[in-house]
Amino acid sequence: MKKRAQTVWRLLGAQDWLAVLLAAGLLGTGLTFIYSASWRGEETGIVGAWFGRQIWWAALGSVVATALAAVDYRFWIRTAWWLYGAALVLLALVLVVGTKVYGAYRWLNVFGVLVQPSEFAKVALVVLLARVLGGGALAPRSFGTVAVGLLLMAGPFGLILLEPDLGTAAVLVPTTAIMLFAAGAALRYLVGLAALGAGGVGLALSPLGRFMLSDYQHERILTFLDPGRDPLGSGWNALQSAIAVGSGGFWGKGFLNGTQNVLGFLPRTVSPTDFIFPVIAEEKGFIGASALLLVFALLLTRYVRTAWTAGDPAGSLLATGIAGLLFSHVFVNVGMTIGLLPITGLPLPFVSSGGSFMVSTLAGFGLVQSVHVRRMRREV
Amino acid sequence: MIDRGYIWRTTLVVVALLLVWGGLAVRLGYLHLGPNEALKQRVRQMRSVEQEILVGRGRILDRHGQLLALDLPVKNIIVEPKVVQSNGQVRTVSAHLARVLDLPYDQVLARVAKPGDPYEPVARLVREEVAEQVMRLQLKGVYPEPLTTRYYPHGALGCHLLGFSNAEGVGSAGIEQRWNSFLKGRPGLRQSERDGIRQEIVLRRTLQIDPQEGADVHLTLDLNVQYFVEKALDAAMTNLQAEAAWAIVEDVRTGAILAMASRPAYDLNAYSQTAPETRLNRAVGVNFEPGSVFKVGVVAAGLNEGLVATNDVFDCENGMWFYAGRPLKDFHPYGDLDVTGILRKSSNIGAAKIAVLLGEQRLHRYLSAYGLGQPTGIEVPGEESGILNPWEKWAKIDVTRVAMGHSVAVTALQMLNVLCCIGNDGFLMKSHVVRKVVDKNGVVLLENKPEALARPITERTAALMRQMLAEVTRAGGTGTRAAVAGYSVAGKTGSAEKIVGGRYVKNANVSSFMGLLPAERPEIGIIVVLDNPTDPATGLRTGGITAAPVFAKIAEPVARYLDVRPLDAAEMVYYQKILDGAP
Repeated sequence: MKKRAQTVWRLLGAQDWLAVLLAAGLLGTGLTFIYSASWRGEETGIVGAWFGRQIWWAALGSVVATALAAVDYRFWIRTAWWLYGAALVLLALVLVVGTKVYGAYRWLNVFGVLVQPSEFAKVALVVLLARVLGGGALAPRSFGTVAVGLLLMAGPFGLILLEPDLGTAAVLVPTTAIMLFAAGAALRYLVGLAALGAGGVGLALSPLGRFMLSDYQHERILTFLDPGRDPLGSGWNALQSAIAVGSGGFWGKGFLNGTQNVLGFLPRTVSPTDFIFPVIAEEKGFIGASALLLVFALLLTRYVRTAWTAGDPAGSLLATGIAGLLFSHVFVNVGMTIGLLPITGLPLPFVSSGGSFMVSTLAGFGLVQSVHVRRMRREV
Repeated sequence: MIDRGYIWRTTLVVVALLLVWGGLAVRLGYLHLGPNEALKQRVRQMRSVEQEILVGRGRILDRHGQLLALDLPVKNIIVEPKVVQSNGQVRTVSAHLARVLDLPYDQVLARVAKPGDPYEPVARLVREEVAEQVMRLQLKGVYPEPLTTRYYPHGALGCHLLGFSNAEGVGSAGIEQRWNSFLKGRPGLRQSERDGIRQEIVLRRTLQIDPQEGADVHLTLDLNVQYFVEKALDAAMTNLQAEAAWAIVEDVRTGAILAMASRPAYDLNAYSQTAPETRLNRAVGVNFEPGSVFKVGVVAAGLNEGLVATNDVFDCENGMWFYAGRPLKDFHPYGDLDVTGILRKSSNIGAAKIAVLLGEQRLHRYLSAYGLGQPTGIEVPGEESGILNPWEKWAKIDVTRVAMGHSVAVTALQMLNVLCCIGNDGFLMKSHVVRKVVDKNGVVLLENKPEALARPITERTAALMRQMLAEVTRAGGTGTRAAVAGYSVAGKTGSAEKIVGGRYVKNANVSSFMGLLPAERPEIGIIVVLDNPTDPATGLRTGGITAAPVFAKIAEPVARYLDVRPLDAAEMVYYQKILDGAP
């Protein structure tokens, strides 16, 4: 028992401390600007409830990350099918007894706390893909590998799309593609699939797409293509977000001085969550926003470094998959806030306010650390 | 364990991913540092507001400060169907609104369900309490829009005089119209910035021109006197089956209008549902042939010229006198009557003979001096000026016709002013209904003081006239029904056949009575005009039968309310001196 405790300490000591530092920096940045986004100006001195909640979620997430880092990731690889099955059940459950918020069934009410099964499902899918693709049972370059990968993705993808939560569902696609590529899948299949996907998006935008997508999805895509088309509807956020970023200038307006944010042009319901990035970009300018991207880039390289040094292919793929998730989230979130992608309602990892999402991001971080501490060793 | 190919592939992945993020950084740089003048312009547009600061319309008050017209804050209930529809709450919201606003559900649903509609008023001019009830439901996409509405607390009381302001806040009748420029005030201007929920950021206000609030118009009207008058007119309309009725109460000494009423009337709060004929302020807006009440001015002229004395006797020709080859008749035939008798019995022939003594030119001069044939200038729109043709154009018989109030037309106010001139020792006062205009800071913008326009007759003539006219309401006079207990009333009855299509109609009269109270030292003058009344008991239509009782019905409570002191016989001595004096 005593020996075991020593082992845990040794393991934690072997963590990727640079990654921990980067993640801690991101969490701190998030807290700082959630404070700003819930600031109501000098006169009132009110700070919204977001800030306090975020501290608790970050603390909970950190505990989960530490626990996952300590536990051997191969345990999760072994139980991957169970995790995946549980995720599917929860995703199905959310469609039946889910809580409706803003017109979508994405939340399960667990003793008063709203949790998002899709966040759990994301990680479960990555773990299962790591097991299947890294297990050596499939010939990597065969079409079968791609087919199995896509088949596994299709389950959670379809269920999440039904909620509907286009953003989270969309994140699964590049993540799966990255894992397939890393596992050695033939590039021609992936390119073929990408072409197919592009065709699908084209179809969605065509008049025929009206029947395939729900109204809100179709509207959002159209609004993305032309934000001026409905300045007070769904285009409002996109426009105000672009204005916030653009008005930041090189150095930014200073903490708590972003007028787009403090005066509520960025709607206060979304500025601490999906639109935290424009808050940072407005108040800290180009310097702050690109520094934030740089930190994400560094963290991403740390994840991939873990993948290189992992003890087995499954661990390596696991780290790559989590890196894929990180990449997709940052890309979709920042992309939408600066008008490169349609508004999909996806938060920024480590930074945005949000419970389930914060926990799942930090869980992913913990899994990568679990791989990292067991690098190049047979058994600990 | 990890093969080289794997390292190569993941490196490729990470490079590709970082390149993609690099794309983000480029876009970020473009937004942050690029030429974003258009975006900045857009921000300014969205932020800056230039709004008119609207002001409340001034109030209208009676002489004691009782509110007659004021602005009330109300709410329009606005629905954003787009918002409600996107929440999928069309039916719930409609049901709630229909219940609270007491509207048919289908009607509300039709509005809420309008596709793609961003703004739909479901209820207008809702009271604040009701609006609050709606807001307590906390329905998404439903909000109140504040505005004010004009409210007339007394409904129809004084409607013709007050008038109304229309939905755009522009005075469109009566005092509201004529005094619009004072009542409406001047809107201010504000340039400022607003925040994301479109509320003004006070700290960033750059320009503020304060609005000039609408000023209050204080009338000379007395709400209670107005009430007595309207009650009496209502009774007259019912009992005498008159087509219309109007009356004025004027302060004899100052020319201030204490009451002015017409029938039919309408509720000012529902002005849009009334016909123009109903809105006519008949007291100043209708010319009518006055009939015998007009004799007052003719006899006063004769007295003033020294052509006749009160006890000069005229032969009234037993009811039939030919002048210029045309017959002139009296209602009842009389033989000899002195001037007092001519007034008391209202003899047409007697009055005609006095007019003939005066001659056309002199008679016309007096009538003009009384203000007849020209507007009095009272501060309400739609005043008629009466008809008094130049004497050169009179036909030969006209002098006898004018003497009995035919071939001329007057408004009730003009006629009353002639009597008040007699009541005010010969001074003709300027009629006015606005006492003062006071702005919101208490600064008096305008004040009307009593103003004498002319003195057509002497004090002595006036006193003699009052003495004679007091006989009209005493036993043997035509106006006994106008007598008021405790006071002597100096008055005159009048009836004229209505002219329909240019011809006199036998069985349709305009009947009137005007009187001063108390006769010896008058304080108030009242005129009552009834359009085609019939006394139900006798079937008669003359002013003495129909209009005189209405006068009494007004004069009695008004005299008591205004605390008019009855004069006893001993005080007559004072007047005797004047009467004894030289003309």
